[in-house]
Amino acid sequence: MQIKNLKLRNFRNYSRLDVDFSETFNIIYGNNAQGKTNIIEAIFLCASGRSHRTSRDDEMVKYDSGGFEVNLQLRKRDFDDEIGVLFNTVKNGSEKRKKISINEIPLKRIGDLMGHLNAVIFSPEDLLIVKQGPSERRRFIDITLSQLRPAYFYDLQKYSRILFQRNTLLKRICIQKNLVDTLEVWNKHLVKTGSRIVKARMNFIDRLNVLAGARHEKLTNNEEKLELLYDPSFKITAECSEDEIEDVFYRALIRGKENELRKGTTVIGPHRDDMQVVLNGESTKIYGSQGQQRTAVLSMKLAEIDLMQEESGEFPVLLLDDVLSELDDRRKEFLLDSIGGLQTFITSTDRGFFNRGNDEAAFFYIKNGTMQRN
Amino acid sequence: MSYFYAPPVAKLIEEFEKLPGIGHKTAQRLAFHVLNLSTEKADALASAIRDAKLKTSYCSICSNLTESDPCSVCRDVKRDQSTICVVEDPRDVVALERVREFKGVYHVLHGAISPMEGIGPEDIKIKELIKRVRDADIREVILATNPNVEGEATAMYISKLLKPAGIKTTRIAHGIPVGGDLEYADEVTLAKAMEGRREI
Repeated sequence: MQIKNLKLRNFRNYSRLDVDFSETFNIIYGNNAQGKTNIIEAIFLCASGRSHRTSRDDEMVKYDSGGFEVNLQLRKRDFDDEIGVLFNTVKNGSEKRKKISINEIPLKRIGDLMGHLNAVIFSPEDLLIVKQGPSERRRFIDITLSQLRPAYFYDLQKYSRILFQRNTLLKRICIQKNLVDTLEVWNKHLVKTGSRIVKARMNFIDRLNVLAGARHEKLTNNEEKLELLYDPSFKITAECSEDEIEDVFYRALIRGKENELRKGTTVIGPHRDDMQVVLNGESTKIYGSQGQQRTAVLSMKLAEIDLMQEESGEFPVLLLDDVLSELDDRRKEFLLDSIGGLQTFITSTDRGFFNRGNDEAAFFYIKNGTMQRN
Repeated sequence: MSYFYAPPVAKLIEEFEKLPGIGHKTAQRLAFHVLNLSTEKADALASAIRDAKLKTSYCSICSNLTESDPCSVCRDVKRDQSTICVVEDPRDVVALERVREFKGVYHVLHGAISPMEGIGPEDIKIKELIKRVRDADIREVILATNPNVEGEATAMYISKLLKPAGIKTTRIAHGIPVGGDLEYADEVTLAKAMEGRREI
């Protein structure tokens, strides 16, 4: 799929923007703090319904204005789509919320947006997938899986609701002992939805492992071996069916009951999952160098592209935010080679790094919230 | 806000504003509408509110709102008194009655189990249901709570209490609306419909 056109109104430091993109490379360059990443953010917003840098929508509103609007025209294999995101900071009778529409028809749920525009983003923050705690890795898994399978997104939403109810109940039981009768119901509820999430993650990481391993081998000239291993909060094996997962999950909850009542929170379940990123048999988080960590994430992102292409038969768009400048020449070249055929958006402080023919790319110069094509 | 109005008018606006879904502006509009009514019509409105509140109570059998106890459904000898349909809200009874298909009786819970709102089994009419099932000759209990997280939990909780007593407990089906197109159904509904498929 390709993005044909992007329109912004009062988004970050842009008052107004209307730009047509190239179907191949789009190089967005300019000095620091001029608004390069904001373009990437707007595109990602249309893909996932949220920003990649903040969870607060009002941060994306231009200072001193009442809200923003993003419009994006998309060309797909068989039809064209138009995605619109509207956000008002002023309460307007209804609650303060994003309104997302496709071809001018408002969506009832943000989940319905998933799958319309598939985008893979690689920004400096993505290094956290390897560096930080498990929540960053779950976030990576959840965002990718949600784009691939909308039903997964609904399961996640349902799970977090059940989890919140169950945690509240665990805290209340301390005060009101007889409520312990109802815990069983929430156990069953949690297990049913949670096991579907566990099963989906297990299959996903399994496939990602194969694809990322292959990508990493090429990227490092067979010098490094990358493995991605699912690390759930209870012991299961790759052959487990959904029923078996339910069984193990349920028994773990029963065993942990006293502990959970003492802590007043749910300690077992997919909300405590992790994924191990292993390089040559050792944890990348602990032993990996900066460069190794970056390459590992890059391999995972390329695998994400492969996976999306396998699933939907269509290539996603690729968003590279300020990452090319940090790779050595060989890895940079390999990266540019391996993403041929994808519509790619690259931000950088200068245009010099792109040493291919100019007919392959469109260049956009950004200065203080304005864009100039040249 | 209503400071500049004569005190009775300010009071009326304030009362309207306490209603769900009514903001200050709407409250003002409603208040002035009432002020423009004839005395008889204003009286009719006031007594409608009083009557609705004072002349209705919970049915001692099914806990539905009723003017006479037991309610008309529970008194109806033509209805199957051994099949109980459990719902969250009196409005659900109205919805089911419109269908004219269900010939059994109801039980209204007045809510669903929700720890985050502080609603436990004691706070809704579950005790009454259990007592009713124990005392009368009941063949089937149909759980028609809403298909959301809280409604599911409530249905699961009730079935856990009833199953050991050997009473047939069923849950209403979820899936594609009749007359609807598959392509417009959302993913969860479709997945539920696939899960609950039947041989024909």
